[in-house]
Amino acid sequence: MLLPDYYEFCCRVKIVAGHDALEKIPDLLIERGAKKPLVITDKGVAGAGLTDIVSRAIGDRVDAGLIADDVPPDSDLRVVNRLARLYRDNACDAIIAVGGGSVMDTAKGINIVVSENAEDLMAFSGVGALKRPLKPLIAIPTTAGTGSEVTQVAVIKDHEKHLKMAFGSYFLLPDIAILDSRMTLTMPPFITAMTGMDAMSHAVEAYYCLQKNPLSDAHSLAAVGMIYRYLPLAAKNPEDRDSRLAMAVAACLAGIAFSNSMVGLVHNLGHATGSVCGVPHGLCMAILLPYGLEYNLHKRANVMAELLLPIAGEQVYLATPPEQRAQKVVSLIRGLNENLHAITGGRHARCLQEIKDREGKPSVPRDILPQIASAALLDGASIYNPEDTDYEDNRMVLEAAWEGKPLDRTRVKKG
Amino acid sequence: MNSAAVFAFTCPVKTNSGNKALENLPVELAGLNAVNPLVVANARAVGPKAVRTLMSAFGDSGMTLGLFEGVTEATDLGVVDHLKNICLEKKYDAFIALGGGKAADVAKVLNLAVSLKTPDARRLLPEAPVRKRLLPLVVVAAAGADGLETSQLACLSRMVFSSEWLAPALAVLDPRLARAKNGIQMAATGLAALGRAVESHISADQNPFRKAYSFAAIRFVRENLLSAVADPGNRKAALAVLNSAAMSGCAFSNAASGRLHKLGQVFYDLLGIPQGVIMGMGLPLVLGDALREGRYDLAALFQPLAGDDAFAQTPAEKRPEAALAMLNRFLEDLRSVLGKELPKSLREAGVPGYRKEEILDVLGQDEDGPYLRGVVERMADGERERKG
Amino acid sequence: MSIIKDVQSGRKPLKRAYVAIFLWFTGRAIQAAAKVDREVKKEFEKLPENFTFSLGCLPDGPWMVVGREKGVVKYLGGDSRGRPVQVRLAIKSLDAGFLILSFQESTTLATARNRLITDGEIPYALAIIRILDIVEVYLLPKLIASLAVKRYPSWWTPARKFGGRIGVYARTLLGI
Repeated sequence: MLLPDYYEFCCRVKIVAGHDALEKIPDLLIERGAKKPLVITDKGVAGAGLTDIVSRAIGDRVDAGLIADDVPPDSDLRVVNRLARLYRDNACDAIIAVGGGSVMDTAKGINIVVSENAEDLMAFSGVGALKRPLKPLIAIPTTAGTGSEVTQVAVIKDHEKHLKMAFGSYFLLPDIAILDSRMTLTMPPFITAMTGMDAMSHAVEAYYCLQKNPLSDAHSLAAVGMIYRYLPLAAKNPEDRDSRLAMAVAACLAGIAFSNSMVGLVHNLGHATGSVCGVPHGLCMAILLPYGLEYNLHKRANVMAELLLPIAGEQVYLATPPEQRAQKVVSLIRGLNENLHAITGGRHARCLQEIKDREGKPSVPRDILPQIASAALLDGASIYNPEDTDYEDNRMVLEAAWEGKPLDRTRVKKG
Repeated sequence: MNSAAVFAFTCPVKTNSGNKALENLPVELAGLNAVNPLVVANARAVGPKAVRTLMSAFGDSGMTLGLFEGVTEATDLGVVDHLKNICLEKKYDAFIALGGGKAADVAKVLNLAVSLKTPDARRLLPEAPVRKRLLPLVVVAAAGADGLETSQLACLSRMVFSSEWLAPALAVLDPRLARAKNGIQMAATGLAALGRAVESHISADQNPFRKAYSFAAIRFVRENLLSAVADPGNRKAALAVLNSAAMSGCAFSNAASGRLHKLGQVFYDLLGIPQGVIMGMGLPLVLGDALREGRYDLAALFQPLAGDDAFAQTPAEKRPEAALAMLNRFLEDLRSVLGKELPKSLREAGVPGYRKEEILDVLGQDEDGPYLRGVVERMADGERERKG
Repeated sequence: MSIIKDVQSGRKPLKRAYVAIFLWFTGRAIQAAAKVDREVKKEFEKLPENFTFSLGCLPDGPWMVVGREKGVVKYLGGDSRGRPVQVRLAIKSLDAGFLILSFQESTTLATARNRLITDGEIPYALAIIRILDIVEVYLLPKLIASLAVKRYPSWWTPARKFGGRIGVYARTLLGI
């Protein structure tokens, strides 16, 4: 196991997992001296009945009746400020966030405002602006997942000033993450597939990118095997509780991994694709993951080879000569995408040209790739990628990902 | 996935490990809102050079630090009470424990007394619940660590304090402090880490989050302890062993106290024998019994111990035995380097009969008493554990 | 006498001096490269007018400040002097600064090892890292530069590399 010359690792979140994990919430709140949480969520989650399940599980030992379900799909400063006022006006003493990435980010933003009595959230942006623990925050993810229940960052958009504020601090970590199978039971196959591949990309990139360390490695190794095994099951049988719990746990492990070993090219290009074309994050990750591996193979083949055993199991591992193992990992991930494509009736795209929006129109026309390649230059994930990337490199990878053909590795500039 | 029970995992400890890790302390403390720390050290145990290295890491920070170097094995709640009064007067806002074992225990209990402004620390009792966050505590690992530094336990005056709030906020592992005095000191650290990591790894309650820590701890000991013991100057290996100790403490805090841990504790409390030495002695016996009992997941040990190739080549049903065999060989390898310094039995360790009786008496009070007493009897003359 | 001693943290004059000198050199070299190198020029042109950034060590310096005024990139010394700084690359300790500026750790590796805290807009910080990489290729022989940057640009023409190197060194030493 690699011991880097220097590394840092931190995950202070208390994780509570199980089929009945939600029922532990009252005790967890009371332990922290809280009895009136503000529950925040979005319309989708509420509409799926998930907040009802949470309320019923909490019961009446604490007063969790105040529920705000209007968090928009994109985190918004106005919503943060409004819900912070709601928190204060109702003398709340904790926050429960039920939902995906945007709900989590909003909750973290609210927590900064109410804990620091902040007039201007912007003053706390950047790294290290927070110096003290915030109010108790319980994160209940409803996808498996973004891993934002265990990340120390939040992004809040100020739509009036057209600014994106990024916050980074260990104090933003939720106090508690609740992983309960009931929260992902209603996820349809298409969403299950792409959020699952998001988790896979976290675990894999954390394993081969530059910040890898022994603890993030251990989390990644645990996650990749679970995702490879349980994601197709969860996508095929949405009602299978064991698969849902396994995916929730795996996504959390992957979240811990990438929170401590930053991601690289896949997220770099994926963020850009998402912001230019509006493609859902998980889908970008799924498509770009094999390409991220291929692009970095010349530098990280040995490391990538170590993923084969947890992903594919003993037989495939033994049947694959060591020098081919990294490539085998790539093809297995492509195979996973194919499998998910079949399970979702074609909705899980395998390449960029296959992605269609709700009306069935292609979301990523070929002529927009240059714009994505440029946008990727502005994204910080490239720092942690093993190999350097410039505009040409981005274009090359995007073209291959658009066509759905393996990357021509002879064209990768090696310096 | 064992889908029956709800499981939980928490690790409040941040780990900073590697080259110049100490020099980040001013920035880390500032991030914890602390500017006036007190260093708590057992200068005799870690040596004056370690104290100097720690203090000079603050060079150029403009900070003034308090330094208490007088931790000894005899330090008790009375000393803590005296220190507490000074701390409150001088308004220290963070604690840095240098070195493991006693220094960490004292720092944790002192933190408790100061944070809660306890009127008389001599009256502190483990049963009193700790409900709020304490002041920041940093543990700077050094040779002689016993793996409990990062845990939520503190042992003082024959009492065991246990609370998630006692665990440190930060563990700093710097290669300059990793060098052990000698091979046996290194072995004791590694075996204590291994023992606790193994016990939490094979526990029947599946917990992938805890397993990540114990997996890494076991792997690091397996891959590095022999080199570190044979060559105390091998900084990288020594640092890896310190990493194991820190990780095993984190895993341990989330598992029920294991049998090896209890054995290690009682012999250390009563006779001052390093916990790792006893845990190494008891490991083949306790694991051999576990293998026969069948309710532990010994197969899970095989991958971190043996590596991917051996794991893949060994059929699943043979892995528990193979894991045990591997551990026994590992201990033999250590003994071939250390000889009698790593005793195989209580007799070799020079434990007289009447002291063994004391141990048995104390163990009698534990819920696992009958079993543990049996193990101690078997450890007396060094029973060779047979397979299956 | 108290059982608790007070210990004043010392100074590290030699490391501080080394870091200060190298920061000075790097600042002037960035100013020079902005005149000599096409890519560096382009990077700066994409940044806002009056853009200023600083690179230095916590908790107490030394620092290097570079700013752009009326289209001209200038090394502004070791102190931002009340001028707003859009990006601050803060190295967590003087010792870490020494590691980076004695090329024992490349900028990339140092970032991966959390040695740097980046304050400010990420796209701007990325531009600065790209600029620093180019400057290092000019200042250092290939052997050292390839340790300092993530990917050594072996596709640069000799004219660019050697001509540029002379230009950057001359301007750095002369301060023009």
